[in-house]
Amino acid sequence: MDHLSILENKSIFIIREAYYRFRNIAMLWSVGKDSTTLLWLVRKAFFGKVPFPVIHIDTTYKFPEMYRFRDEYAKKWGLDLIVGRNEGQVAAGMGPKKGSKLDCCNELKTNALKQVIEKNGFKALLLGIRRDEHGIRAKERVFSPRDGNFKWNYEDQPAELWDQYKSTAEEDNHFRIHPILHMTELDIWNYIRRENIPISELYFSKEGKRFRSIGCLPCCGPVESKASNIDEIIHELETTHTSERAGRAQDKEDAYTMQKLRSLGYM
Amino acid sequence: MEEKSLHIVIVGHVDHGKSTLVGRLFFDTGSLPPEKLEEIKKTCEAMGKELEFAYVMDNLEEEREKGITIDIAHTFFMTQKRRYVIIDAPGHKEFLKNMISGTSQAEAALLLVDISRGIQEQTLRHCHILSLLGIKQVAVLVNKMDLVDYSEASFREVDSGIRKVLSSLNIKPAYVVPISASKGENVAKRTEKLSWYNGPSVLQALDSFETLSIEDKGLRFPVQDIYSFDGEEVAVGRVEAGSLKKGQEVFVLPQKRRSKVVEIRKFLADGITEAPTGDCVGILIEGAGLKRGQILTDEVKSDITDTIRANIFWMVDKDYKLGIPVTFKCATQEVKGRIEKIHRRFDPASVEIVENNASIIKPAEIAEVDIKLDSPVTVDKFSDVPELGRFVLEHAGFPVAGGIII
Amino acid sequence: MDASKKTLVIGLDGVPCTLLNDYLEKGILPNLKEILSQGYSLRQMDASIPDVSSTSWTSFMTGVNPGEHGIFGFMELRPNTYKMAFPNLNDVQAPPVWDILGNTVNNRSSSLYDKFNGKVPGGFRSIVLNIPQTFPAPAMNGILTAGFVCPDLRKGTYPESAYDYLKSVGYMPDVDAAKAASAPEAFFDEVFLSLDRRAEAYMHFLESESWDLFIGVITETDRLHHFFFDAALDPGNRFHEKFMLFYKKADEVIGRLFNRFMEATGGKGLFMTMSDHGFTVIDKEVYINNFLRESGFLNVNGSREYFEQIDSGTRAFAMDPARIYINLEGKYPFGAVKDSGREKAVAEIKEALGSLTRDGRPVVKSIFEKSELYSGPAAIKGPDLVCLAHDGFDLKGNMKRQDVFGNSHFRGMHTRHDAHCLLPGSIGAPGRLHIESLAEIILSNYREA
Repeated sequence: MDHLSILENKSIFIIREAYYRFRNIAMLWSVGKDSTTLLWLVRKAFFGKVPFPVIHIDTTYKFPEMYRFRDEYAKKWGLDLIVGRNEGQVAAGMGPKKGSKLDCCNELKTNALKQVIEKNGFKALLLGIRRDEHGIRAKERVFSPRDGNFKWNYEDQPAELWDQYKSTAEEDNHFRIHPILHMTELDIWNYIRRENIPISELYFSKEGKRFRSIGCLPCCGPVESKASNIDEIIHELETTHTSERAGRAQDKEDAYTMQKLRSLGYM
Repeated sequence: MEEKSLHIVIVGHVDHGKSTLVGRLFFDTGSLPPEKLEEIKKTCEAMGKELEFAYVMDNLEEEREKGITIDIAHTFFMTQKRRYVIIDAPGHKEFLKNMISGTSQAEAALLLVDISRGIQEQTLRHCHILSLLGIKQVAVLVNKMDLVDYSEASFREVDSGIRKVLSSLNIKPAYVVPISASKGENVAKRTEKLSWYNGPSVLQALDSFETLSIEDKGLRFPVQDIYSFDGEEVAVGRVEAGSLKKGQEVFVLPQKRRSKVVEIRKFLADGITEAPTGDCVGILIEGAGLKRGQILTDEVKSDITDTIRANIFWMVDKDYKLGIPVTFKCATQEVKGRIEKIHRRFDPASVEIVENNASIIKPAEIAEVDIKLDSPVTVDKFSDVPELGRFVLEHAGFPVAGGIII
Repeated sequence: MDASKKTLVIGLDGVPCTLLNDYLEKGILPNLKEILSQGYSLRQMDASIPDVSSTSWTSFMTGVNPGEHGIFGFMELRPNTYKMAFPNLNDVQAPPVWDILGNTVNNRSSSLYDKFNGKVPGGFRSIVLNIPQTFPAPAMNGILTAGFVCPDLRKGTYPESAYDYLKSVGYMPDVDAAKAASAPEAFFDEVFLSLDRRAEAYMHFLESESWDLFIGVITETDRLHHFFFDAALDPGNRFHEKFMLFYKKADEVIGRLFNRFMEATGGKGLFMTMSDHGFTVIDKEVYINNFLRESGFLNVNGSREYFEQIDSGTRAFAMDPARIYINLEGKYPFGAVKDSGREKAVAEIKEALGSLTRDGRPVVKSIFEKSELYSGPAAIKGPDLVCLAHDGFDLKGNMKRQDVFGNSHFRGMHTRHDAHCLLPGSIGAPGRLHIESLAEIILSNYREA
């Protein structure tokens, strides 16, 4: 079996396992490439029909292209779309310029999601995170229990082996389930190409810039790139090693300093 | 280049040079982006040191710990043959759960031994886990040969000692390779300093390993779930062994009911006649009433039993006491039961049996046990069909042990 | 050049006066003993508040209080956020002695500089090795290689030729303290190696360069103390012998540098050793932020990191070692205390901390308000309160612990009152010495007659 098919089968197995265990489940769809790939895999797992709600957390600050894309495919694929918005905070004018960005994310994303989970009583959420995407996720499990405060106790996680995922215990409030954890950014693009998965136009270069990840308009910056189609994006990823971190000397010095201070007990 | 990457785990005692080896592998295979190398050089310099390969690994770990983004390139290195993914498998006893979770995904293992120290506690524990997890492709790397002036005699002495220990654990190393990770001798290329050694370098050894190939075995198709579409019942599942063919006569276990595969379904794919091992598919069969946990096979060769004899490794920091209920999870089967008898338990770090006919199992111990289940399950010996020969035990919703059926 | 106008300062990071006296008595430090017999005296000295290396060394090199030099610890928060920032030499607002002596003060000023401006001829050349908080190396009249924290030796060394030399001898700016707990033997090896390399480099600069002021700091002492101070005086401790052996080696290094210096100056040069703070054994670590949390001053949102965990409703929080900041409205994102409420908050925290006890023993020895400690243009950046603990209680400002009291692999804690200074008996005012007064002593040596 080829590489992408192995990855696909692994994901589908996880999605079906999750649905068997939690009929009151939902998936998060940010409209980005990863969660759209996840959505595609969910459609494959259930023969074209998504049997549970798809949640889009709407901060009201998303790109107009994203709203258009969301509505087009929600309709085309017959999704049970739940748009989660922290209405109270939106009405109060929360935004990246009011208070800190941190508050904005916390209120319009985290708390909006909390509200959706509470209101609908979801016991599990499918998320399109990848292991290579963020350092700490190297330690993530496929089935990741969270307590009521959304806390992830990554220092003491249950063992996970041979595709046996932890059953629910009393203290588990809900589960985060990660069906594409094993894919890399490059895998995703290769899979998108193979499957011809529709993807937001924001990923493709316009006037020398494109978005490598998409989220809220005020807090998202494009990268320099001439890649204007999927083949060119894949070529770009295969040939450049430079990551988003390149050139941030101050961060490196700070990271070194933090490590040193920590080793002497100052952190 | 091969499309599939090989997942490897590097095990060994904490000071035996694991970080240095990983750094060396990244460096010698050119898998390190130049900016990263520059940064690591600077870090070493700031500590008054020559480029130390251990820092490559430490640097990555540090980044992971702090949650700084890591590029794709950093999690694997490449040879001309294929990509290698290094699986994180921490050595300390406290991290046993993580070590097992990591190692269970490995297809091959490098076992690192410091020539001046030989096999030590953590290494022994790792070897036991390798053996239990059924990882067969193992190369032993005898490191720090530079400290003994690349002496053949010293190597021979350690070599035979290691082989003896490993054979008692049923591990037959494919190679025992003398190396110096810090000096780069015999890692990426053969060197003159070890001219008396005729075997492969580390990379050659790795390249000789194989990605887990699918052996030609009988069919095992555990039913994962049943979906109803317009009155049709589609059973979904993953072909765990063998292959599933349209029109094939099958047995539904454990009931041994006979049936026939009518149709194989996948979304956006028509006319499927065969599903290979690893494929997740939906099927229609003759007769209704399939349930999760049933296993479709081509012959009745598996054991259908409510008593499991197995080796288990205890992964949590609480003792097991005879009688405590557990849930047995094997493929999609899930049955309650309890450990009925603990034939022997031992500390994998010492190889010595702690107790025969025991009544408890302590943290990080391995035990040979009989598990009595409330109803029969379909299983195979791990050595025959690993997918149906390995299981997890849970207690109160928490995985407490992994096991293999003997 | 007048040989008496040369100065050699050997800094011994974290070396307590009491321990030196003890080791002198035991005969472990023959070189220091010999020096003391030549008219020098060993005096206990007060460090800066807080008694953390970055602050105290900056006080040493600038001769002014943190309210003037602006360094209150190893970390600060970026303005209007709870994000951490790490001040370096560029954030030091007062000129260090070598800039005053070298005519490289540029636009800075300080009360010390005002005192000496026009009274020292200028143009003196300094060699400054391994003083903490001197990264990145500035262009200066002489040579500087930065001490802790030095994330990049090249950027931490001036000029380039000095960097080339240091690199060629395998000079180590710092040891890998992370090893101390996991591989103590290897850690000791590294500490000894680091001292060797340092001694070689210092001797090289001392002999082959021309200079007027030479400051060389040994920081391995502080590293040892953090992890093994319990070994200092306990013969039953398995690292006791090694610990003392390190002091013997350091004593040899001091002896060698002293003798070479006296040869070069015909016995006329000004010599001193000093430390930035003392050390004592930790009984309990005290996590001030948890105390503040339990006392209702601090709200924490654990889903974030470090100080960004500070949540709305917080009235105060602490940063290492025991700097307490009032969460003022307008100053911080979740500021919950109005300027008018600051005094009340300060008073309440003082009272709460003052009554903190462990097994019946009070934890906090004294609590200072900003205005009692700091004066100068940078004072406004300072903490609202700083605590000093009784010996044995190591006050910590991190956010990751769950309890108020705890222990870890650290064995030693800083003390403010037990730094030391060894200097000619004829020099220095009577009474207790303070680290801020040493720069003036050094500068006075160059004053025009």
